[in-house]
Amino acid sequence: MRALVLLFSALALQAMEVVTLPGQSPIINFRFVFRCGSLNDLKGKEGTAALTAAMLARGGSQSMPYSDIIEKFFPMAASVGDQTDQEMLTISGVTHVDNLEAYYSTLRDMLLKPGWRPEDLKRLRDDQLTSLRVSLRQQNDEELGKEVLYNILLGTAHPNGTVSSLEKLTLADLQAFYKQHLTQANLTIALAGKYPEGFAERVKKDFSQLPAGKPSAVKRPAPKAIPQTRVTIVKKQTRAVAFSLGFPIPVNRSHPDFPALLVANTWFGPHRSSGGNLYQRMREIRGLNYGDYSYIEYFPRGMFQFEPDPNLARRQQIFQMWIRPVEPQTAHFTLRLALHELERLVEKGLTESDFEDTRSFLSRGVNLLLKTKANELGYRIDSQFYGIGEYPEYIKNAVAKLTVEDVNKAVKKHLRKDRLEIVAVAEDAEGLQKALLSDAPSPMTYNSPKLADILEEDKLVSTRKLGLKPAQVRIVPVDRIFQ
Amino acid sequence: MRTLLTLLLAAGAYAAPPSKIFPYGYDQHDFPNGLRLITIPTDFPNIVSFYTVVSVGSRHEVEPGKSGFAHFFEHIMFRGTKRFPPQKWEAVMKAAGAATNAYTSDDLTVYHATFDKEGLESIIDLEADRFQNLEYSENAFRTEALAVNGEYNKNSSEPANQLVEKLRDTAFDRHTYKHTTMGFLADIKDMPNQYEYSKQFFNRFYRPENVTLVIVGDVDQKQVRSMVEKYWGPWKKGAVKPQIPVEPPQTVERKAHVDWPTPTLPWMMIGYKVPAFTENMRDSAALDLIASLAIGQNSPLYKQLVIEEQKNDVLSGGYQNHADPYLFIVYSRVKKDADMPAVQDAIISTLNGFKDTLVDSKRLEAVKSNLRYSFALGLDNSEAIAANLAGFIALTRTPETLNQVYDLYASLTPEDLRDVARKYFVASGRTVATLAHKKEAK
Repeated sequence: MRALVLLFSALALQAMEVVTLPGQSPIINFRFVFRCGSLNDLKGKEGTAALTAAMLARGGSQSMPYSDIIEKFFPMAASVGDQTDQEMLTISGVTHVDNLEAYYSTLRDMLLKPGWRPEDLKRLRDDQLTSLRVSLRQQNDEELGKEVLYNILLGTAHPNGTVSSLEKLTLADLQAFYKQHLTQANLTIALAGKYPEGFAERVKKDFSQLPAGKPSAVKRPAPKAIPQTRVTIVKKQTRAVAFSLGFPIPVNRSHPDFPALLVANTWFGPHRSSGGNLYQRMREIRGLNYGDYSYIEYFPRGMFQFEPDPNLARRQQIFQMWIRPVEPQTAHFTLRLALHELERLVEKGLTESDFEDTRSFLSRGVNLLLKTKANELGYRIDSQFYGIGEYPEYIKNAVAKLTVEDVNKAVKKHLRKDRLEIVAVAEDAEGLQKALLSDAPSPMTYNSPKLADILEEDKLVSTRKLGLKPAQVRIVPVDRIFQ
Repeated sequence: MRTLLTLLLAAGAYAAPPSKIFPYGYDQHDFPNGLRLITIPTDFPNIVSFYTVVSVGSRHEVEPGKSGFAHFFEHIMFRGTKRFPPQKWEAVMKAAGAATNAYTSDDLTVYHATFDKEGLESIIDLEADRFQNLEYSENAFRTEALAVNGEYNKNSSEPANQLVEKLRDTAFDRHTYKHTTMGFLADIKDMPNQYEYSKQFFNRFYRPENVTLVIVGDVDQKQVRSMVEKYWGPWKKGAVKPQIPVEPPQTVERKAHVDWPTPTLPWMMIGYKVPAFTENMRDSAALDLIASLAIGQNSPLYKQLVIEEQKNDVLSGGYQNHADPYLFIVYSRVKKDADMPAVQDAIISTLNGFKDTLVDSKRLEAVKSNLRYSFALGLDNSEAIAANLAGFIALTRTPETLNQVYDLYASLTPEDLRDVARKYFVASGRTVATLAHKKEAK
């Protein structure tokens, strides 16, 4: 399998790109990644990109209604998936090599000759509306908090749009989007597995039927400055209080400080890992909740998966802390503690040994991100987007050259302890608002004795001043979110 | 990989004789203390997945007030030993670049780590140590109980979780499947006070006879065996067999409803009592096929409810392998409250239909093909191989079970499916649980 990496070739065309990972695996992976997405949605038509992708991947083609496609794919256990983000729209597919011909001919027609049937639109629009109205607003306070944070910080809609925009979208809107953005200029095709010789060329030729088009990338204005910390409390009926907080950062994978910031973040709040500082201080020592993490890249659906999906590349990223739901009576203390930990990161940085341990972890752990061929393809396309080398090598080489001073310098430069956007999801929104504005002490009690240094720290944390004025803490009813 | 290819070519031709679905050679070894080791070398380079499968789950929670304990114990296992306190444990895992976690279900608790192959011996040592020498203070124990409460909280806004809790509570009277793995909230709230019981739980159940190590990836079988012998060999046997109450036969259909306080689409879960996985593996396999034929993506019912009439946005479920008799469950999320009765009728009459009408043999062959290809497509990395095996290992402790199940699929006829449907799709074995938004409810 090691040889596969060497066989990699990117056949750069004038516009359309093809990435191939030929190998011995009978599992054939396809990825069609278009450099367009929800940032290309017209005002008032948010959700167009996502619904267009859904129509391609989960709707019929001109020659086959969707139920016939299911029928055809079923004995092969083959599938087509879609993922739409701000700047990338991905259609992915997988089949066994035995069925490659039958699978590919159908997939090709789905993408090149979409059926645009009203009944598919109705079903898929319903799904997308449910994802906002039910899944996000009602069933997952954590994802809700995160998405509201992105919405506020970047002024961008959720990639799935808004309820009111989705209700108005027509087939003509989707067709126009398809015609303008799903073009050769935006497309990278990626293939992995034991496909026959000449197959990649054939796919490339087939997709040359798409209009040549022009790159869809829109200007990405710098996010508005945050003059002072602001809190948005989303009010809904729920048992606990969830927090997300952060601010935009000018760092993405193409930025020279990315590896340093990645080291810092991997020490501070690695996703779903019990080894992070935030997790240790908040959950492990104090038992406040189920976990606490931080991010420097967009990572949707984090509660369902351990590794991020590829092809969510964004030029504009944020630093984000994800504080999982806490009991309402500890919410004020928890927020204070999260800010205290952030302040410690910014002011003290990592120690030499934190740095060495984290660097060694990253140098090995980064390989796990590419454990499947689908991910390997996806990461390669993301690396092209950011203009960096192959991701694991890029990270390993970069962190090998870093010093703890580099890391702490990057932290000081890009992270901060104030001017934050804080989003809370809570039932007693008024109570939380009052507590936050009062700045009154929020002493912590535990069900078991704690070490003296923790109790000392708690004293400090529980009286930490947020200094918020009424205008800085607003309450938003959940049914207004993504409306 | 060559084996996989050959086997699947055979699978592609429907008429081919049954061949082993699990394409990897493996070494299965029993140590004198009862511990079992399964080593599966693959050609995915550099990476190793280490799964410790403990055949203990919420099924073992026989005492009243102790629901959720197996899962709680999974958390406690991360609280360290003398040699490796939590931070040191983390450091060893980190040094190997490991991604590590654990999960608990009705019949199993699984601890898993995927890491760079250089870390293999240190991780085998680390894991052997915590299974033999776990040591945690009452303070740490009480704090961890709060994290479990936090886990309950973060799950609680999902209505499907609450409805499964209701379905099980209604369908079972005595068996421990009455409660979910998460446990009842009252029991979770009481967990901080159960320190002494937790030590009993460890002594009774965390024993080598209940544990199978599954090590998959870029490894050498001989080397793995000697490492495991060195570190896990001294572990003392002595597992206690739990006295799990036998569920009396259900005699009438049962119903339950949950009023949900916030807006949601209504849910319906229909469960039928079915046998334990190993009690009658032929029936279990037949129920898998029926699930796909009845409610799978390619089924007429799915096409009707999801694609054409668009009454549902979720229709899924089926038979789930369990150590004791459990439920065949159909999960259904409906778009409008008013459609609930029609959807319920459609599901029940579809399942009843299998009792009278023989399934079309072409459709049956398509399902068999789907199952084989689904399995093959899922084996795309070492971790996925270990994860796919874990559920079977917990019940039978051998990958061979997978081969048996797929051989059974291949051998089943339309008549077999009819007979199985007649046995289990009976009203007296059915429980229907529904959930809907109740606007006036606080």
